[in-house]
Amino acid sequence: MVDIEKIEKRTVQSFYDDGLTEIAAGLIFLLIGGYFFLQLGTTGSTAGSIVSSVFLIVFFAAFFLVNRLLRFFKRRITYPRTGYVAFKKKEMSPKRRVATAVVAGIISAALAVLFRTSPSVQDLFPAVNGLLFAVAALLFAHRVGVIRFYALSAASAIIGVGLAAAGFGDLKGLSLFYLLFGAALFITGLAALIVYLRRNPRPEGGSQGGPDAR
Amino acid sequence: MPADMHGLAELDRLIHEPARLALTAILSVVDSADFLYLQRETGLTKGNLSSHLAKLEEAGYVAIEKTYRGRIPLTLVRLTDKGAAAYKAYRARFKRFLEKP
Repeated sequence: MVDIEKIEKRTVQSFYDDGLTEIAAGLIFLLIGGYFFLQLGTTGSTAGSIVSSVFLIVFFAAFFLVNRLLRFFKRRITYPRTGYVAFKKKEMSPKRRVATAVVAGIISAALAVLFRTSPSVQDLFPAVNGLLFAVAALLFAHRVGVIRFYALSAASAIIGVGLAAAGFGDLKGLSLFYLLFGAALFITGLAALIVYLRRNPRPEGGSQGGPDAR
Repeated sequence: MPADMHGLAELDRLIHEPARLALTAILSVVDSADFLYLQRETGLTKGNLSSHLAKLEEAGYVAIEKTYRGRIPLTLVRLTDKGAAAYKAYRARFKRFLEKP
């Protein structure tokens, strides 16, 4: 008998077979980690204030560039080997959107109050980030059913808590967390890509490349 | 016919065929997919896949767009609204049947 739910889940999982999403996410984390590291080295100087004022620009530019790269490599590597697939863009229901905003607001407010009232809490920056990303990765792993995302969730928690326990707090700890977790994402993505390429050699003349192919 | 068999008898036979069920299940979670992707995911031969897609297209369940990118043929398949509604109804009915004690 055909297991419908298994097929639906497998279809969603197929998007992550090539590891390119993790490589892209890893690059974003590495860029943010590098940015924090740069900020750390320029604290107090004019360059430092310029660096800290362009955080949002750096973040969105990194996101935009990496997203373009991901699409480019999907066209070059994935679609010719295992075919083109475009997933539906899920529209969040208004109820869910409000619930997400409320939860995010409560977490942000609680953290802001905590960091203001007790400056020593800044030593926990990497631990807080590590645990937040661990929860996010865990929920994502549960939704898509890709085993290596569970490992990444554990890695995030271990790196974050480990750095805080080792005395790397504040901006230094934060930059180390983003660099290490970014490297973990990049390495697992690369390993998945190597396995994918070995399992799926490019078929001769079978390249379709998707509708955006040039 | 026993009452609990009625639900099964009412299943959409076009979708109920295993290969077409796999195809509609895949297409239900994607916006569109090309021929190569569907072939790899279902394990069907080119001929079989074409034949099943033609039946689904004939019923208005899928839309097939044949185009070219350079010299390379590109066949894009997507589930139509009619196909999505039929699959949703099939899925719900089949699930109800399986859950009956």
